[in-house]
Parts: sequence; structure tokens; C-alpha cells
Amino acid sequence: MSEMPGRVAVRFVVNGRPVEREVEGRQSLADCLRDGLSLTGTHLGCEQGVCGACNVLVDGQVVRSCLMLAAQAEGCQVTTVEGIGEGDRRLNPLQQAFLDNHGLQCGFCTPGMLIAATALLKENPHPSREEVTAAISGVVCRCTGYTDIVDSILAAADAMAR
Amino acid sequence: MSEASYIGTSVPRREGAHKLSGQAQYVSDLRRHDWLHARLVLSPYAHAKIERVDLTPALRLPGVVAAFSAQDLTLARLGRQLNGGSDRVLDVLLAHSEVSFAGEPVAVVLAETAAAAEDGAEAVEVSYRRLAAATDPRQAMAKDAVRVRSEEELHGAEDEEAAHGAAVGGEVEGQSAPNVTRQIAFDRGDIDAGFRLADQVVEQSYRIAGVHQAYLEPQAAAAEAHPDGSVTIWASTQGAFYSRSYAAECLGLSEEKVKVVPMTVGGAFGGKGGLLEPLAAALATVVRRPVMLVLDRLQDFLVSNPGPAAEITVRLGATKDGQLTAIFADMMFDSGAAPGSPVGIAGMLLGGTYQAPNLAVRGVEVVTHKVPVGAYRAPGAPQAYFALESAMDELSRKLGVDPLTLRLKNASVEGDPQVNGRPWPRIGLVECLEQAARDPLWVKRQKGDDEGIGVAAGGWPGGTEPAAAVCRVNGDGTLTVQVGSVDITGTHTTFALIAAQAFGIDPSRVRVITGDTDAAPYAGFAGGSKITTTVGSAVLAAAAEARRQILELAASEMEAPADDLEVSDGQVRVKGVPEGGRSVAELAALTTGFGASKAPVTGQGRTAITKSAPGFAVHIAKVRLDRRHGWLKIVDYLAVQDVGKALNPAAVAGQMRGGTAQGIGRALFEQMVYQGGQLQDASLADYDLPLASDLPPIRVAMVEVPSPIGPFGAKGVGEPPAIPGAATVANAIRDAGGPRLTSVPIRPQQLIGD
Repeated sequence: MSEMPGRVAVRFVVNGRPVEREVEGRQSLADCLRDGLSLTGTHLGCEQGVCGACNVLVDGQVVRSCLMLAAQAEGCQVTTVEGIGEGDRRLNPLQQAFLDNHGLQCGFCTPGMLIAATALLKENPHPSREEVTAAISGVVCRCTGYTDIVDSILAAADAMAR
Repeated sequence: MSEASYIGTSVPRREGAHKLSGQAQYVSDLRRHDWLHARLVLSPYAHAKIERVDLTPALRLPGVVAAFSAQDLTLARLGRQLNGGSDRVLDVLLAHSEVSFAGEPVAVVLAETAAAAEDGAEAVEVSYRRLAAATDPRQAMAKDAVRVRSEEELHGAEDEEAAHGAAVGGEVEGQSAPNVTRQIAFDRGDIDAGFRLADQVVEQSYRIAGVHQAYLEPQAAAAEAHPDGSVTIWASTQGAFYSRSYAAECLGLSEEKVKVVPMTVGGAFGGKGGLLEPLAAALATVVRRPVMLVLDRLQDFLVSNPGPAAEITVRLGATKDGQLTAIFADMMFDSGAAPGSPVGIAGMLLGGTYQAPNLAVRGVEVVTHKVPVGAYRAPGAPQAYFALESAMDELSRKLGVDPLTLRLKNASVEGDPQVNGRPWPRIGLVECLEQAARDPLWVKRQKGDDEGIGVAAGGWPGGTEPAAAVCRVNGDGTLTVQVGSVDITGTHTTFALIAAQAFGIDPSRVRVITGDTDAAPYAGFAGGSKITTTVGSAVLAAAAEARRQILELAASEMEAPADDLEVSDGQVRVKGVPEGGRSVAELAALTTGFGASKAPVTGQGRTAITKSAPGFAVHIAKVRLDRRHGWLKIVDYLAVQDVGKALNPAAVAGQMRGGTAQGIGRALFEQMVYQGGQLQDASLADYDLPLASDLPPIRVAMVEVPSPIGPFGAKGVGEPPAIPGAATVANAIRDAGGPRLTSVPIRPQQLIGD
């Protein structure tokens, strides 16, 4: 603890944009995104990998960015909530479905839910209610009781199929 | 006022797109290059003397800029006059000479990065001399128990209850056991005679665990001091004006010198407002740098103000046809290291929901060496109703009377006395019970051998507080409504509907904003289920006044008496003449810009509502039990609630479902587990919150018994759904052939049996 932790150069792609950073070896990907890149849509609820508010996609997989070191992202494609939209459209069909179906309240878990749902719908475009429930059971929401979130994701799957 | 057309239709939350795109700003999202990051040093002991705080090891670390113990953070140090030689107000920031709970902050380290601050906090060396601790309330009430608080410290304790619900009275003065900081008693009739009249009596003691609000965003505050002596505080708070007055008091500043900017709140449920704001502001003042103070989850569990544990004994007596003859209750609330438990509200609800001619409700609040409790969604009510509604269920079994019928026979109605003798206003308890009785889940009561169906009720008085709002008509005819309340549950969206309806314009033309405390009109704490009824009423009045002004303006322009004009869909017309008229936009254009000739339309609304609009809920759960493995599944759940009038039904349903989930959390999962004053489950990995896979789809049914107080008949809806869950689930387990459970959360081993 007496000495300064080492610094590491890291290059990765965030939301389609290449970034190059020198980070402390101990810095989490979440802190790098939030503090280094000002992508504050990734939220920190527990910093223990439990709540899922810090979910991001790393090479298409859902990752707790609080449990991954920034240095480990070398060469990876990282997608945060800021990057899930589609071009100039303000909200993508998933986000729109959350809005229309009241799938959010305080908004703190929302980015984590959206990331989990994005990965689910990519892998399984027509999930059942049970599959949606299982897919978001790694994200804690304290406000909604989850019913409206599950409905939102099912509605998004419908909308994207049309 | 024209017929309600914008009211009662579900609309999306207005701030939703911000939250869905990652743009909503919570305190910790504020970016600037000159923040100093603060990290607290917490006491590891429940009770100890602080002998020495050595900050120098921290100050030697790279990135650490400053560190303080309580001795360093005095009013004098802040450049203020000592108030009568005492700077006691600052004691609340850091412990001075003694710590009274494990987790109490004793020092704080400021550094250039959060990581460096964390290193610094680890390096601070504090010498303690451990003292005997009273961490269990029974132990704390024993004759020779160590005192948690001195008489002097107890003087002037603030009243949490008044902020969240209603002061109910029933205070008992005089002798009490050690560490009892409050006693209440409500009596009616002759309690002994009441039980003599009873054909059946049930009696049981119930234990309800202390639980945490467990909002997803940990507590956070940031502050900057200005050269003129004023401070700006960015806060995750339910009440910007509460945070302001508290910070002003602690720092010895006048309120006008403290600006609180309320940020997006990542969940609060009663727990947020004032905890960190004074310390952040004091630090910023001393170091002359902006300070960011964000708790991590461990610290949040240890430092912040959870909901109290309680033990409640209930005895009910009834005649064989199900008429209650007597209600007795004896309650004990564990308040942690400071007074402020909701024992009064609990007594009011426990003794007032059903009518019995004979009543005796007793309650004590005990202080212990644990984190001081605060408000958590319907403070006191889940505790009271777990005991009462479990007892009612047992009584219905003993009597052989249907549980809903028993409740309907005894339910309080308008005019019936509450525990303090005051009459109930119009309430919807009976209507909720009737609605529940009509649901197919109850009518059919289809269940397998291992299944059970349980029912329980709950109620909440509803908070009151003055509020004001301003409604401005912009030059293009749109409306800007400004309030001082924080939008946590979707209230701004509802205010837009209220203003649109009252003014006569489409809601898409109305914007609702929260001002900081420099700019906004007063509003109360977003808690106690009161923002829609109090601030909503002010918005209604402000929009109505703006409408009056635009009609006055139109009258002069259209050469018609204002009384003959109406505003509808943004158009001012002569009543009964659908064609012609002038648009609000045309008229508003006359009020802004060079050469404009008319005074700007600025409606102000002010209210001081002193009567509450109580809301009741009735829940039904169907559970499936596996008694071999102690496994339980909730297979169906219905939440019925009297919402007065659902202004935005989707938002109301969201409150009902979310509150229900928290009630189920109390029933099955959540508990602050202490051992020797040490919290054993201070992480989200250990503290068990309900996940999506734990909960059934929650069905909701709204009953609308209009309130005479809230706008368009609305009642507060946040609290009631969080109340009945524990008893509902316990009663369903009993119905499934399981045991009568007398403590929550329910543990799997309690369910194991034949």
C-alpha cells in the first residue's frame, strides 16, 4: 500500500469508438468507464458483482464491469448503455419498450437490465416469460417488483420480430 | 373545471428516456476535475471511548490531501461563531469522544481519487477503549444496563414520525426501564371486561426483523463552498429543503446561504435526506475544494438509517359470531443508538384498523448500541400488521369464520374512532376487502394439497405538509410548472397531467421541473405517501391561477367577460361556441418580448393540507409448500389497494408492485443480522433481496374511494402496498398446512415438517 500501484496501457473499443488509456493496474473497468471516459450510465450499486447495475457487454457477453479490471479489456469490444441505441434514433426498440411498459422507476438498475436484456434477445429473440425472468435474475431492482420489466422485455421481443 | 380527460390514462414517465439512455445524473455521476473524494473511517466497535485518532499515516500517502477527526471539524474551524460556547451540532458529523454503534464515523480522509481516499482511510489509526454495549433491546432494558444515550443527548431528538406520517399522541411520561426513550399508551373501554365477553381469545408474540431500504444507489452527497460563505450541496435526497435546513443547522449557516441541488435519486424508500449533506458541506468549507462523498455498499449498510426490528404481542377477543370484544397489544421497537422509531404510528394502526369497544395498546421504544434507525416505506406499519393480521388469521381459524368475513365485520369505517379518539375520515378498507373477496383467486380458492391461500390487510395514514408550486405560461403558450419536490416515483409525470387538466391544455405542452432550494417554492419530504396529495394540490392551484390569468387576458383581447370564456385543449373560447377564439399561444405572445403589453402569466399555488388521506391495501397470496425441504413458492399474488383516484394508473401499479415486492422481501428474505452489535450481512451478497426469479407476476386491482384532499380524489399510494406482505405469506403458509409463523423473515427450516 505504501507504493503507488503500477500503471498499465490499455486499448479497447467502447461503443464503437477506439480508446487508449493508461490506467492504474487495480482500476476496475467500471471506474475506467465512469471516471476515465465519463460514461456514467454504468452504475455502481455494490462493487461486488452482485447487483448487476454495472453490467456492460464485453465482446457480446454480459460482464460485471466492477469485477473486471480495465487492463483486462485490452483488445475488447465494450458496449455500455450509452452505446445500445441505434444511430440517430433516440431510443432503440428495447429502450422504447421499457418506456412504454413502465419497466423502470428510479433508473439505477435500468442500464444493467437493458444490457442483460440486449444479450438475451440477441441469443434468443423469442424468449418465454420464464426465460426473461431467468435472464434478469442477476440484476437487482428494488423499485418495480420486476413484473413490468419482464413485460417490457417481452414487448421488445414482439416489436423487434415485426 | 372541465371534465377530467387527461387524468386516469396511463402515460410513460417523463424522465424515462434520460434514465434509459444513461443520461440521468445521480450525485456520483457529476464530473469535474477538482473534486476531492472523501472516505469515512468507521468504528469497528458497538460502544467504545475514542482515545486517540492518528491521521498522520493517512496524510503521508500519495494523493491524500487532508484528514479530519471530530476535533478538527468544529464550527470555529468552519469560521463560524461558537453558539453559546457549544458546537454540539457538529457532533452528528463525526463521533467526538465515544462511539455508540459499530459503523459510526470517527474520521474522514480526503484525496485526489476515490482509491487514494480509500487507502488513506485504511491507514488512519484509531485507539479505542471498548466499553460494555447494550445491543439487544431486552438486555438494554435490564436494571443494570449501560445507558446508550445520556439525558442531555436525548433532549431535543427530532421526530421522524411527524415527517413521515402523522403525530398520533398517546405519549406516556414518567418512570421507565433503562434506555426506554418513548412510551405510548392508548386505551378505550375496559380491556379485562372485553376479554371476559369473548368466546374466543388468541394471543401470540411476533418478531419482525430489522431491514434495510437497500436502495440500489448508495447514499451520496457532494458540496462546494463559495467565497461569500455560502455552500452548494448536490444530494441524493428525498427532501431538498430538509437537507438544506439540516445542513444549515449543523454548519451554523442561515438557510439562504445553503443551496441544495437535488439530483436523480436511485431509490430511497424513506432512507435518504440529510445523512451526508452536512459533512460534505463542512469538509468543502474547511478544505476550500469541492468534495464528493459517496458511500460504498458496506458503509451504506453500516452508517445509514434502516427500518427497525420490533417485537409485538397481540391478544384479540371475539364473540363466536366474529365480533371483536377486545384488542390488546404490547410493542417494543429497537431504535438503535438514537430515538426516532415509529412506535406511535404502529400503535395507531394496530389499534385502529378494526373496531373493538375495549382497547389497550402499549408501546416502548428502546435505544441500543446499533445504527440508529430511520424511516423505511410505511415506518411501523409492516411490523404492526404482521402481528395484527397473523392474529386475525388465527382468530378466524379458531372461530371457524371466513378470514375476509371476520375482517369485514370489524373493519373501521368513516366516523369510527381511531386509537386517539379522533374519527377516521372516509377510508376504503371495506371496499378493498370486498374487492379481494370478488377476485377469482379467493372465490374459487382452488388449491392442491400442498398449497394454501392467505389474506392480510394493511393501511397507512398518509403524510401532510405545506407546499407551493408555480405555473408559468411561456411566450409560445407552453407551460412550465416548477416545484420543490424530488421526483422519485413518477410524480412529475402526474403533475403534468394535473396541470394540463386544471389549465385546459394537452399534457405534452406542460413541462414540470424541480428547482434547487434557491429557486423552487417549498415542498416537503418525498415520503409518507404525500407528494401527490400535497404538492399535487399546489400544482392544481397554480395551474388554476394561471388559467384565471390567461382568461383575464383573453377577456380584454376578445371583449368578452372572463366568466363567459373557457380554456380547452390550448384554445380560449366563448363557452358553448366551439368555433373561433384565441389560442393560448397567441395570447401568451402578448406577455413576452420587446414591446409586449401584457403581464406574464405566472400562477402560484399554495396549500397547507393538515388532514391526511389514509390508504388501505388487501393482499392475497397463493403458495406451494414443500415441507420436506422447507421450500416455498408463491404461485399467485394479488394486491388490492384503495388509491383514491389513479391519476396515472401505470405509475400507481408500479408503486403497488414494487411495494408488494418489498413486503415479500420482509416475509421471506430480508433481515439485518447482528451478533454482538456487529452487522453480519452488510453486503448485497449476504443481505438477501428478492430477485426476479423469487417473485410471481404481481397482479394489481385498484379500488377508487375518492379522497376529499388530494387532487381529483387521489390518495398517496407508495406506502400501503409494502405493508401486508409478511402476514399474507405467513397466513398462506398456515393455510397450506404449515406452521403458524411468528417471526419474519421466514426461514426454510421453519417450514420443514410432516
